[in-house]
Amino acid sequence: MEKQETMERICNDFTINIATANGTGSQSANLIVLNSMFQMGVPVSGKNLFPSNISGLPTWFIIRASDRGYQAPGDKAHIQVLMNKDTWQKDLAGLESGTVVIYNEDVKLPVDRDDCPSFGMPMTKMARGINPKLARLMCNMYYVGALAHLLDIDDAAISNALERQFKGKEKAIELNLRAIGEGRTYAEENWEGGIPYCVEARDKNPDAFLVEGNEAVALGSIFGGINMLSWYPITPSSSLAESIIEWLPKLREGDDGGATCAVIQAEDELAAAGMVIGAGWAGGRGMTCTSGPGISLMSEFIGLAYFAEVPGVIWDVNRVGPSTGLPTRTQQGDLSMLYEASHGDTQHIVLIPGTVDECFEYGWRAFDYAERFQTIVFGFSDLDLGMNRWSTAGFQYPDSPMDRGKVLRTQDELDAVANYGRYRDVDGDGIPYRTLPGSGLDPVLYRGTGHDEDGVYSEDPDVYYATVSRLRRKIDGARDLLPAPVVREEEEQQIGVIYYGSVENSITEIDDMLESTGLSVSTCRVRALPYHSEVEGFIERHDKVIVLEINRDGQLYGILRKELPVDLLPRLHSVAYTDGIPPRARVYADKILEVLEVTA
Amino acid sequence: MSVMKLNVIDLEKSEYTGGKSSLCPGCGHDQISKIIIQAAWENGISPEGIAKMSGIGCSSKTPAYFLGKSHGFNTVHGRMPSVTTGASMANKSLSFIAVSGDGDTASIGIGQFIHAIRRNLDMVYIIENNGVYGLTKGQYSATVEKGSKKKKGTMNEQPPIDLCAMAINLGCSFVARSFSGSKKQLTALIRAAMGHRGMAVIDVISPCVTFANNDESYKSYNYVKENDEVLHMLDYIPHFTPIEEVDIPEGEYDDIQMFDGSTLRLETVGDDHDPSDAVSALSAIHHAEKENKHVTGLLYYDDSMQTADEELGLTETPLSALSEAELRPSEAELASINAAFRGA
Ligand SMILES: Cc1ncc(C[n+]2csc(CCOP(=O)(O)OP(=O)(O)O)c2C)c(N)n1
Ligand code: SF4
Ligand SMILES: [Mg+2]
Repeated sequence: MEKQETMERICNDFTINIATANGTGSQSANLIVLNSMFQMGVPVSGKNLFPSNISGLPTWFIIRASDRGYQAPGDKAHIQVLMNKDTWQKDLAGLESGTVVIYNEDVKLPVDRDDCPSFGMPMTKMARGINPKLARLMCNMYYVGALAHLLDIDDAAISNALERQFKGKEKAIELNLRAIGEGRTYAEENWEGGIPYCVEARDKNPDAFLVEGNEAVALGSIFGGINMLSWYPITPSSSLAESIIEWLPKLREGDDGGATCAVIQAEDELAAAGMVIGAGWAGGRGMTCTSGPGISLMSEFIGLAYFAEVPGVIWDVNRVGPSTGLPTRTQQGDLSMLYEASHGDTQHIVLIPGTVDECFEYGWRAFDYAERFQTIVFGFSDLDLGMNRWSTAGFQYPDSPMDRGKVLRTQDELDAVANYGRYRDVDGDGIPYRTLPGSGLDPVLYRGTGHDEDGVYSEDPDVYYATVSRLRRKIDGARDLLPAPVVREEEEQQIGVIYYGSVENSITEIDDMLESTGLSVSTCRVRALPYHSEVEGFIERHDKVIVLEINRDGQLYGILRKELPVDLLPRLHSVAYTDGIPPRARVYADKILEVLEVTA
Repeated sequence: MSVMKLNVIDLEKSEYTGGKSSLCPGCGHDQISKIIIQAAWENGISPEGIAKMSGIGCSSKTPAYFLGKSHGFNTVHGRMPSVTTGASMANKSLSFIAVSGDGDTASIGIGQFIHAIRRNLDMVYIIENNGVYGLTKGQYSATVEKGSKKKKGTMNEQPPIDLCAMAINLGCSFVARSFSGSKKQLTALIRAAMGHRGMAVIDVISPCVTFANNDESYKSYNYVKENDEVLHMLDYIPHFTPIEEVDIPEGEYDDIQMFDGSTLRLETVGDDHDPSDAVSALSAIHHAEKENKHVTGLLYYDDSMQTADEELGLTETPLSALSEAELRPSEAELASINAAFRGA
C-alpha cells in the first residue's frame, strides 16, 4: 500500500493510546512498540495507566512521539488501539474526529465512527492459529505489527525491542516475532488508505537507554553502600525494593561471599521504619521504600529519629491519596507530610529527583546527607517517575567519596573533641558528634524523651528549648548543601514557574504553550527541601511566580508561604491540580493562564 | 584495704551498674535490673559489647538503671523489636539485652514480638510482666489472668495472652518464665539466655507495687510466692568454669549446652520436664493456668534454629564496619551496567 501523495505526513509528533485489559500480556507488546521507536532514535515516552488489580480491569498505555522532546501524555490520541471490550464504547466516543482506530475484530463490537479511519484485524483468531493456549497473550502482538506497518517502524528495531523484552527466551521471541510479522502482513494486504502519522529515524544518542526511576534509585542506593533494606510491599514502591534485591548479588558480595546488605521483608511499615533507625543507630546505612500509607504508619518513628538524631533513608514513591486513594495513579500529594512528618515540631530533608539520572544520584547521596545531618532523609519520587521508563545517557559514578558524618570511632578521635557530649553542638553547625554501640566510647542511652547535651534525661524547660532550637538550626543549615534548583531563566523576568519532581516531564511543553501566548517564562525546578536560597533569589527576580504541582492544595506553595520573607508573598501564586493522570501540558498550561489572567 | 571482687575479665561489678532508678520503691522491675547487672557481671561479658534495648513503660525505662557502660536505645512503645532487628543487621557482633513490658509486648507490640521470634533474632528479650500498664497508671494489660483483680477497679473477665505459650507455638528457640522475686532462678535463666544464640524470651512476673500488688492480683508478690510451680532447680555453669569441678547434684538432672559453651543444669523436682518437648511445655502452662498458678523455669529450648543473620548469609565483618571499597561497587561495574542497559 502506498501512502497517499496528497496526505500531509506528520512524523514523530503524535500520541498512541492502547486500550487493553490488565493481565493480558499487553505490557510486553506496549514496551516493544515504545522501545522499537526509541531504538530508531525517535524521542518517545510511555505512560502506563493501570488499575489496582492483577487481571481483568482496563489499562491504557500512552505512547508520545515528539521531536520537540515533549514527554507528557498528549492532550488527545492520534491513534487509538482498541482491544478491551469493557472500555470500547467509551474510548471510541471520546475520540476526536480523524483519530486513527486500530481494533481487534474478534471482540465483535461495532466501530461506529465514520469520521475516523478504522482498521480491523482478527487478532485473536490469528493468534489462535499460532498457539491456541497463548492466544489471549499473543493477540496483542498483532497490533504491534499493525502499528509497525502504519507508522513505518523498522523491522530491525522491532526485533531488537523484542529481544530485549524476552531476554534469551528463544521460544517466546520466535512466536511473538511470528505474530508481529503476521500482523504487519495482514495490514499490508488488507488495509486500504494510509494514515498521516509516521516515524522517522533520527540520530540516536548511542548512549541513551530507557529505565524506570525505581530501578535507578535502587542502583543508586547500592552504589551508596546500603547495608540494610527493610520494606513492606506497596505499589508503586515495590519494584524499587525488588530491584535492589535483584541487583545486590551481582554488585555487593563481601570478600567471603557473604552479603553486605541485609534485606528484610518487614511485617509492616512501622517495623520497616524501626529497622532503618536501628541500623542507623548501630552505624549502618539503612533504608526503606514505601508510598503514602506507609509514611503515615512510620510517622512516630520518624519523629524519634529526628529527636534522637539517628540517620536513615526513606523513599516515598507517591501514589494518589488520601487513604488508599487511587493506588496505581500518580500524584505529588505527600510533600508536606514528608517535610513535617511526626508529632511536635519536626522538619526533614527531602530530596526530589526529576529525572532518572537524579533518581540514581539521590539514591546514593541520600545516605551521605542522612549520616552528615544525623536525621531521616526522604527521597520523594512518584508513580510516574518511578514506574514509567525515562531516557538517560547513562548513570554517572558518584563524584565524591562516602560521607559517614561526625562519627567518632576511636578513643583518640573522641579525645580530640573538646567537651564532647552526644548532643553538644561543638562545631557551631548544630550537628553533634556521635559514637557507635559496640565501641565502648562514651555510651549513652538514646531516647525519644527530653535529653540534655550529654544525652541524660531532662525535662528542664531551657534544655528542651535549646535542643529543639539546635535541631532547627541543624536542618536549616542543610539548605545550601542540598541540590540547588535547576533554573532556566529568560532575560525578561516576567513570569517564573517553580515546580519539582516529575513535572519535569511536562515542563518544556507547558513552557512552549505559555510562550506561544507571548509571555516570557522562566522556570525553577526545586530539588530539595528545605529549599535552597537560590529559590528565594529566583522569586525575587520575577514579577509573578507560579508554583506548579500535582496535588490539590499547593503543598510546596504552602511551604514557601510559610518560610519566605513576607514581602515576597504577593508574587507567589499556586497552580495545583491532580486527577491521577501524569500532567498533560494543556491542562496545566491553561490553569496557569487562568491564574495569570485573574491576577493581572 | 578491702579486696574488690573482679569477674573473669577483671571488672568490678560497678562497671555493670547504671543510673539511679526513679521507679516506685519495691517495684519488681528494679529487682530484675539488679539481676541483669549480676548476670552480665558474673558472665564476664564486656559491657561495651552489649546493646540495651527497650520500648516504652516503667519497665522500658530500666535500661537507664543498668549497664551504664553500654550503649542503649529506649525506643517507642511496642516497637523495640524492629529497632533491634535493624541494629542487629548493621552490627551482628553486639549482644542485645532487651527489656519490655506486658503492655509493650502483648498489646501494642505484639506484632513485632511475633515477627522477631519468627526471624529468630539473636537477642535476650525480657518481659517485665505485671499485668498492668504501670506508666499510664494501672490499666489492665492483655496478660492479666481471668479472675485477677488489681488494686482499684473491677475484676478482669477476659482470658490472658500467655506470651510463653505464644513464643513456643511460634518456634522460639529459648522460652522461660520466672519471677522477679526468684533471684537464683532468674539469674541462672538470664545468664543462660546471654549464652544462647537466637531469640531468648524470658517472661518475668514483676509485681507493680503501686497498682496491682493486692492479694487478689495474681501477679502480686504474695500470690506468686504461694502459687509458683517450679519446673526444676536451675544451676548455671559458665563456659570458663570446668564442669568437672562442679558438684554433682544428688537427684536426677539434665544438662543443657548453650552456644557459648556454658551449661544450664536442670535438677528435677517433682515431675520431670523435658524442655525440648514443646507439647509438654504447653501442657505445663495450660495446667498451671487452669489452677491459677504460674509455672516457672526453662519451658522450651531448641538449639537447631538458624538466626536471622545466618539465614541472610551476612558477611563475617559487621556491616557497619565495612569500608567504602566494600560498600561501593567500582566505576567499571557501573560502566558495565550502563552498557548492559544500552544492549551492548
Ligand atoms: C504510641 C503510644 N501510645 C501510648 C503511649 C502511652 N503509654 C506509655 S507506657 C504505656 C503502657 C506501658 O505498660 P507496660 O508495657 O506494661 O509497662 P509497665 O509500665 O507496666 O512496666 C502506655 C500505654 C505511648 N507512650 N505511646
Ligand atoms: S507504677 Fe508500678 S510498674 Fe511503674 S514503677 Fe511503680 S510499681 Fe513499678
Ligand atoms: Mg506492665
